[in-house]
Amino acid sequence: MRKIITLAAMLATSIASADYTFVVPQKPGGGTSVWAEIVAKELEPFLGEKIVIKHIPGARDIPGFNEFHNELQKDDKTVMVSHGGNGVSFLQENVDYNYADYDSVGLMNLNIIAGKRKGADMNKPSFAAGSGMVPEAFAMTMLICGPDKTVDEYVSCFKDNVTWVNGMSGGERRLAFKRGELNGTRENPAAYKKHVESNPDAELWFHHGILQADSSHADDPNYPGYQFEVLFEQRYGVAPSGELYDAYKLVKSFRDGLQKALWVSAGNPNRDHLVKALTAMSQDATAMGNIKKKVGEYNWIVGDAGNKHRDTLMTFITADALQNLVKFNTEALGLASIFKQGLAK
Amino acid sequence: MEAIGVLLAGTLYGMLIGIIPAAGATTGLVMLFSFMQYFADPYLGVVFCMAVVAGSTTGDSITGILLGIPGANSAAATMVDGFPLALQGRATYAISAAVFTSTVNGLLWGSLVFMLLPYYTGLLLYFGIPELWAFTMLALATVGFVSSKYRVRSFIALTAGIVLGLVGVDPATNEPRYTLGWYYLEDGLQLMPLVAGLFAVPELLSALRNRTQTAGVSGSQWQQTLDGLQATWQHRWLALRGGFIGAFIGVLPGLGGAMADWMAYGQAVATTPNADPAMGKGNIRGVIGPEGANNAQKATSMLPTVLFGIPGAPFAAIIMALFMYLDFELGTLDLAEDTQFFDSMTFGFMWGTVIVGVLCLVFARYLGAIAHVPYRYYFPFLLLFICWACLQYTGGWQDLFMLGVFTVLGIACKHFKFSRPSLLIGFILADRIEALSIQLTTIYSFDMLADRWLFWGLLIAVVAVGFASIYRKSGINYA
Repeated sequence: MRKIITLAAMLATSIASADYTFVVPQKPGGGTSVWAEIVAKELEPFLGEKIVIKHIPGARDIPGFNEFHNELQKDDKTVMVSHGGNGVSFLQENVDYNYADYDSVGLMNLNIIAGKRKGADMNKPSFAAGSGMVPEAFAMTMLICGPDKTVDEYVSCFKDNVTWVNGMSGGERRLAFKRGELNGTRENPAAYKKHVESNPDAELWFHHGILQADSSHADDPNYPGYQFEVLFEQRYGVAPSGELYDAYKLVKSFRDGLQKALWVSAGNPNRDHLVKALTAMSQDATAMGNIKKKVGEYNWIVGDAGNKHRDTLMTFITADALQNLVKFNTEALGLASIFKQGLAK
Repeated sequence: MEAIGVLLAGTLYGMLIGIIPAAGATTGLVMLFSFMQYFADPYLGVVFCMAVVAGSTTGDSITGILLGIPGANSAAATMVDGFPLALQGRATYAISAAVFTSTVNGLLWGSLVFMLLPYYTGLLLYFGIPELWAFTMLALATVGFVSSKYRVRSFIALTAGIVLGLVGVDPATNEPRYTLGWYYLEDGLQLMPLVAGLFAVPELLSALRNRTQTAGVSGSQWQQTLDGLQATWQHRWLALRGGFIGAFIGVLPGLGGAMADWMAYGQAVATTPNADPAMGKGNIRGVIGPEGANNAQKATSMLPTVLFGIPGAPFAAIIMALFMYLDFELGTLDLAEDTQFFDSMTFGFMWGTVIVGVLCLVFARYLGAIAHVPYRYYFPFLLLFICWACLQYTGGWQDLFMLGVFTVLGIACKHFKFSRPSLLIGFILADRIEALSIQLTTIYSFDMLADRWLFWGLLIAVVAVGFASIYRKSGINYA
């Protein structure tokens, strides 16, 4: 009995003595949750204060971010941890949160890479579906169907050529690709090395490029020549453009450009302290080595550069791009999406 | 060193929860949800979970023998002959035989499963989507038709479990499904309140209500311990046959637990034609038979669980959820290549089995005393821990509300004999069935399936299970 009381007291003390709270919109064990735990652990010594993780799980990881927006951000010691899926939901679902309302502490901007089975006919790809795969669907459709088409024509071309397989988790997708049941797959850079590069039957297909401050996407130096835009121009002799391309740029930028991000309320007095600590952490080889070991190596954008990165993303939002994103999602991919007129304004 | 501490803690916790009447591995594992986040190293969490399984599996026999209340439903078969032996003043004799049989079979089948598990992972590449779909169907057929004598009610429970498992968001469209407009349900029904409500709380309430005759531990304990070991050696082939039955049932997805033990008890009865004393009246063969199956099935039921993400038994469904909590996705290549994961499972289960075996043999007399502590003293703590575990999802009233709903459902199922294991396995497998069905029909045509002999073999097994259940009714009364 005494031990139970002691344990409860210890738990209560650890919560009460915590100085910062990281809000994670997932259950423990999720990808962003694991990321938040390791970053918080490495950040604490530089911050000089304790960090506790508060998990607020819910459908498509939206309720946690909504709660931060509506309530939790009033506390200056609360930091929101978001991921790329929140970025996609922001564009096409009814959510309360809005990136324009917060200040960035730091974020990770990464590139997603698609692989294919060697010798497979990628004019007839078979690919795992899901809301996280939307940018890949756009890219492969344009690569297969070519330039100068309306969104309706792209929808029809997608349906004719792509086998879009619903209901696969990440693990199932990797297994199906390895067994040859899917001829295409996609991964973040760390997982790509592990699951595609190491597979003798697989090779690089395309990647999305890395978002730059001037709103362009640069080729990935690790996989030169395989950026979607480069491959498209090689194949068709013109650079990609048009309605579907604008929608593609929008959705890929919000997913990959905000892959993992830390936010505080606008004008938060603790932001400078957090940014300084994060900057110091990002320059510390041991801390970054520990993070790399757990979640892979990514580029960090810290402090004001994060706000600029967010502002760059916002320039991609137009009524046409949003409408075409929703149209392709619903008609080609069968995903429930809504056009957010207010966001376009 | 840290791993040894975790191993000991897990084994002792498992043994304690096994000894507590009506608790057992399922309840013990449900309560772990509260603590999983405190494992900084997830592999230590794996060691702890497997030690809990090993500890509770052996520990629950003690309560079954001394009180006539099984620590878990899987110890019910042991109780049939174990309790009369205890009433005759030979409790330590029965416990010694039970623990020794259980430990030896646990080590034997644990070696075959856990140490060789990395080599079985090659199966992942042979089992394509069609085979996984057929294997899942086999799991449903065995659970629905064979795991209970009340076939129709079991089938209804299975269907209800599948429907509950589909609550949430349609994976193909992202549209909410069966959520009754309640946003909380869009993330699906959570496993913790469901398992706690279906199994843990009804069993705890039932044990609180029932007053039973209990047996004490008396006489020369060492002599009884030695007699128990001798009896096990004398009936070694019976013990090994029980282990083989348990191992076989464990591999079949969705079964395990009670079924393995009752089948092993059945073979003990069948191979003892002129029993003296009669079976059910305190014959040691009635203890050794089912105890052979007890630990063996726990070990082998981890095979489908780890390799394919299809739980081999209800307790394995909870293990699966706990491992997911620790960020291990079962049935994936990532895990198949993770040797530390397999080492942790082996370390936790094998050493947990050894430690609990030794402790139970040496301290049987004192452990028995725990079973005699009036239930009202620890009931509130168990209930509190279960509620706490359920609050790990959102921490809000919704979690407790769902626990209440599933407790009512669990009590109703138990009372009216609608199989709760069937409901749980249906719930766990619902999204797999849906996803695999979509994948099968999207990727494969009938022509592509024609030469997949394993797929057709599994389908034939599904049909065979259906027919077998018509002609030979299961004897399992547990619901």
